[in-house]
Amino acid sequence: MTGVPTQPAGSEVRGTSSGAGRALVAVYGVFALAATARASVQLLTKFEQAPLAYLLSALAGVIYIVATITLARGTHTSRRIALIAIIIELVGVVSVGTLSVLYPEAFPRATVWSAYGIGYGFVPLILPIVGLAWLWHTRAS
Amino acid sequence: MIEALAYVVIALAGVAVIWGLVTAVANKPPGKAQLLFAAGVEIVTVVQSIIAAAKLVAGARPVELATTIAYLIGIVILIPIAWLWANVERSRFSGMVLAVAALGVLAMTLRLLVLWASAA
Repeated sequence: MTGVPTQPAGSEVRGTSSGAGRALVAVYGVFALAATARASVQLLTKFEQAPLAYLLSALAGVIYIVATITLARGTHTSRRIALIAIIIELVGVVSVGTLSVLYPEAFPRATVWSAYGIGYGFVPLILPIVGLAWLWHTRAS
Repeated sequence: MIEALAYVVIALAGVAVIWGLVTAVANKPPGKAQLLFAAGVEIVTVVQSIIAAAKLVAGARPVELATTIAYLIGIVILIPIAWLWANVERSRFSGMVLAVAALGVLAMTLRLLVLWASAA
């Protein structure tokens, strides 16, 4: 990245991986592992049964991995990537959640985001909101 | 899977979750006993995965074999990673990190029990 650093490394920005951020990264890590493992199995063994649902599961897994790594790094650049990933995550869980309720026939197999993440205690819906709040809380000002 | 062992894992992981939350609420980093307990949970979890793997080799076939294998592998890496992550910066949130990992172990073991119950 060629962006000029707007602050000395690690001084003014409160790291996204520090304090409560450690717990947030841990939750993202667990979801990255769970979603990616599940999606890999689904794509490898029964892709033809529900291609849309399984591709969405894989997308969710990738987004969780990106969010985990970028939040754990907490540099200026990785904060931006985290912001984009978490916004996609929020849009994904809200849109897939709504579509899966309105058109259940389009989602014959559950994804992480089906019915707003009901299969995972609605954590997939809450997580991006907490993530955005955390990025806001740790912003440089 | 040995059902009784799975319930031991679930119980131990449950204690680890509560312990992590308690130290987080009390605003303390995890103590030595807590870290050793987490290591104990990990050991029992590893034993469980090894026994289950042996049963798979011996011919046990849960309906979702691939998912079962993914879970048996994934479940053993949660606590070691959380342990490292919790110890890089020790604070009340280290306990939260351990609690999150233990909750993951608990949930995955429950799921494994369901998958295994379908084994022919």
